[in-house]
Amino acid sequence: MKILEVIGVSKHFGSLTALQDVSFTLRRGEILGLIGPNGAGKTTLVNLIAGTTPYSAGDIHFLGKSIRGLKPHQIGRLGISRTPQIVKPITDMTTLENVMVGALFGKKGKKRTVRAARRKAEQTLELLGLAAKSNVPGESLNVQERKRLERAKALAMLPTVLLLDEVLAGLNPAEIDEGVDLIKKVRDAGVTILVVEHVMRAIANVSDRVIVLQHGEKIMEGKPEEVLNHGKVIEAYLGKRYRALAGNG
Amino acid sequence: MKKIATVLVCVAVGVFLVWCPYLVSFYWLRILTNIFMFAILAQAINIIAGYVGYPAFGNVVFFGLGAYSTGILMVKFQTTFFTSVLVGMAICVLFTLLFGVPVLRLKGHYFAIATLGLNEATRAIVDNLSGLTGGGMGLSLPLRAGDIGANARYFYFVFYGTMLLSILVTYLLSRSRFGYACRSIRSDEEAAEGMGINTTKYKTLAWMISAVLTGIAGSGYAYWMSYIEPGVVFDMTIAIKSFVMFLLGGPATVLGPIVGAFFVEAVSTLTWSHLLNYHTGTLGAIIILVVIFMPQGFISFIRQGFSFSTFVKKGKKKFSGREKRIEMA
Repeated sequence: MKILEVIGVSKHFGSLTALQDVSFTLRRGEILGLIGPNGAGKTTLVNLIAGTTPYSAGDIHFLGKSIRGLKPHQIGRLGISRTPQIVKPITDMTTLENVMVGALFGKKGKKRTVRAARRKAEQTLELLGLAAKSNVPGESLNVQERKRLERAKALAMLPTVLLLDEVLAGLNPAEIDEGVDLIKKVRDAGVTILVVEHVMRAIANVSDRVIVLQHGEKIMEGKPEEVLNHGKVIEAYLGKRYRALAGNG
Repeated sequence: MKKIATVLVCVAVGVFLVWCPYLVSFYWLRILTNIFMFAILAQAINIIAGYVGYPAFGNVVFFGLGAYSTGILMVKFQTTFFTSVLVGMAICVLFTLLFGVPVLRLKGHYFAIATLGLNEATRAIVDNLSGLTGGGMGLSLPLRAGDIGANARYFYFVFYGTMLLSILVTYLLSRSRFGYACRSIRSDEEAAEGMGINTTKYKTLAWMISAVLTGIAGSGYAYWMSYIEPGVVFDMTIAIKSFVMFLLGGPATVLGPIVGAFFVEAVSTLTWSHLLNYHTGTLGAIIILVVIFMPQGFISFIRQGFSFSTFVKKGKKKFSGREKRIEMA
């Protein structure tokens, strides 16, 4: 089932074309990887979906309805959440309060009172084994606990689609493995995920499908192992000479 | 247990302050009234700067707007003080609605400077509308009927009541949906927006509440002093002083700014009256010592059992970013 449909979207900043006629669909319950060299337009695409920048042409449909002109928080409330950094809790809040914010402002959050949100957050933390850390500042958690906290937040918010923009950047290999694990677990909780990433190992590991952007255009789409070894993609990243050396495509 | 102790201490202090006007001299009554006024201003800054993280340096503009609303209405239109306060509040609300969206798009220093600009511009306008405001000559308000003692007590309770209101508002705000939205915005505005928080709405509302409280203080000041001029009620030193109180007391705590106001005013009065030649130096030195030894403000210091250990901890993790301020008990 199609959750998110990007239909021929373009974005121009003045005379600069950041995205040109990009189309793809996101199906329920999948993890879609979005890759491409620097400046390919990945973050711009995420910005368009999250509503931070308006698109110039084309349209984006969420659950069959256009999201044109909606503000980021309206899109957030519909069920598309963007997590800029999955290991960064809200500062100056306890673990419990962090999850409460998710329960208060996520999907269905408007109907919840603060008390109900607190209960929901307590349940979620209990479920993830973080209940003992409820009342310590979120920032005092270690990396592993922070990841569990992010999962709790995502669960409390109940987003339909989660946009992860380079959330694994700057982590060491062990942390990346944990991050990949976390992304999969969030998906298993019923969230559809779009991952933008530079870390190829992670992308290959986590995504069901991958799309590749170059110079604002979609050049490839398919299974990760096919896409990552395809000549066109190697060329996009490493140039023609390397493609010839690799003797591929 | 700690919670009960806090409530008991607050109630005891609150009751004592109600009894105070019948105990102390007019001199101390006046000083206390002044402390209450600054406590309101510091609390108003706490709401927008402490909870939402927008350093509204130019908030004194609402003090001036409140003062001039009361002045003009009472002098030119012969309204009651109460009516003029309501109108002043309405003007502050309109002002934030008008400038909230453009100004609150700015962040950090840029926002601070923009609010400074708003204050200077408003002061210049008030200065030049001499027909209405009396310009640089100022405006003399009608004196309140009654003897000196009754008047002193009247203003004491006006400011005391408003201060209690500001504490109540902050308390309710800190534990409501609104408070959680504000604190999420302070942490990361984009992330907050992504979590479904209408940041523009909450920022503007917070600034509005802050403005209204400041406006009430301005109205009270005008009637209390019975004379206002642009240079006095749009004075940046009022803003700076309330900012110092807010920071010393403890940002984003319910009682911090109040404690800060009491401390700064009490110390400055005491140093002024006892060390006439050295009072600014002494006050400055005391503030420096407080900042060094209680970097997170009085409230954290009290919460951590009056220990200076925060200083040591703070020194070690100097570069780890913002200090943690756990929600007040």
